[in-house]
Amino acid sequence: MLNPSGRDALLLYDLALVMFVGALVLWLLVGGLFVYVTRINPREMSRGLAEGLIVGGGVLFPVVLLGGLLVYSLPLMQAPREADEGMRVHITAEQWWWRVDYELPDGSRVTSANELRLPVGQRTGLVLKAHRVIHAFWVPALGGKADMIPGRETYLSFLPESAGVYRGQCAEFCGASHALMAFETVVMEPEDFEAWLAAEARDATPPQTQEATRGAQVFAREGCGSCHTVRGTQAVGQVGPDLTHMGSRVSLGAGILGVEPSDFADWIAHTETLKPEVAMPSYDHLSPDDLTALAAYLGGLE
Amino acid sequence: MTEITENEDAHEFRSEAVSLWRITFGPLIWAVHFAACYGATALVCAKGGAVDGLRLGIGIGTVVALVAIVWLGWQAWRQWDLVRDRDWENDQGTGEDRHQFLGHAAFLLTVISFIGVSYVALPALLIGTCR
Repeated sequence: MLNPSGRDALLLYDLALVMFVGALVLWLLVGGLFVYVTRINPREMSRGLAEGLIVGGGVLFPVVLLGGLLVYSLPLMQAPREADEGMRVHITAEQWWWRVDYELPDGSRVTSANELRLPVGQRTGLVLKAHRVIHAFWVPALGGKADMIPGRETYLSFLPESAGVYRGQCAEFCGASHALMAFETVVMEPEDFEAWLAAEARDATPPQTQEATRGAQVFAREGCGSCHTVRGTQAVGQVGPDLTHMGSRVSLGAGILGVEPSDFADWIAHTETLKPEVAMPSYDHLSPDDLTALAAYLGGLE
Repeated sequence: MTEITENEDAHEFRSEAVSLWRITFGPLIWAVHFAACYGATALVCAKGGAVDGLRLGIGIGTVVALVAIVWLGWQAWRQWDLVRDRDWENDQGTGEDRHQFLGHAAFLLTVISFIGVSYVALPALLIGTCR
């Protein structure tokens, strides 16, 4: 929030600064006046001065100051709700990860998960939903936060101003692994974004190495596809995150691990330790060889 | 003697009963204005209706409410009678004191109602959208 990289975050930063400086000035004034009348010049005041101080300092001044801050801050609430310029992303909060669905201007959809990609310099709409419990969507560097409520749609829009990777986090307590429900927002140059989106829309890359091919067999044998989708294969499950292009994401387990082969192996074998009460069971019965093969397969899904 | 006092008491009681009612009018206008603004906004936005018409309506309603509150405040200010006797508390317990105290209370309530009505109207006038 103190390092804004989007138009909306910049507005919030300015707002916070104005409010903080305003509060500081008020605090110094009140404190200074208190010290003055009790320590520096403790004499009896005339009735007129005392009445003026109470009515002027106690009623008029705060009403005018608060009124001014209200008039300044209210119009700032419009920008984060402005309509998108073409692309909308539907984000649904699960326990404890994110479904991410890109809706293009022509109406087609591209499904992903646990990572948000946005083009620089373009306002993108975020349509927010939740499954089962209330969550909140927050990327401090890009804008304000918005609640995600089961059975309702909330709306937020971001206008990122510089490329980079920005952390997002669930900001409303949603159960045991609330703190472990994060994601990365990757802001890209428009042409890079277009290329990425075209790649993301394609079916999964078939395994390229022998190791990865064996990983795909382990994936099928262990029934991973009944919960996860890998487009272009037999795996069409909808319970867990879409893994079609898992290998090109920058984090694993909804923002809690990196994407090294060891991270994949670690996650698959110890989900319940790494993310308490998560729906996916720990596959700790798999041999190290099987885990390495699975990591090669998933890491290769670029 | 007794009869005159009783008559006077009855008369005074009636007039105080009226000014007791009167102190509620400021907050009452605020409450009605608040409910009307929020209700109308919720309805118009849910139906995707005309936001500009809504803002105009809220603007007119706000001016009417503020004028009524200022008028009530002026009445209450005169009843309090602060300028003439510089008596802020009216704590002597006489009939006149009770009368002026009710004016005092009514005046303060109209001040807070004026602020309330203004602040409630500001979002509608400054944010021109339902989003």
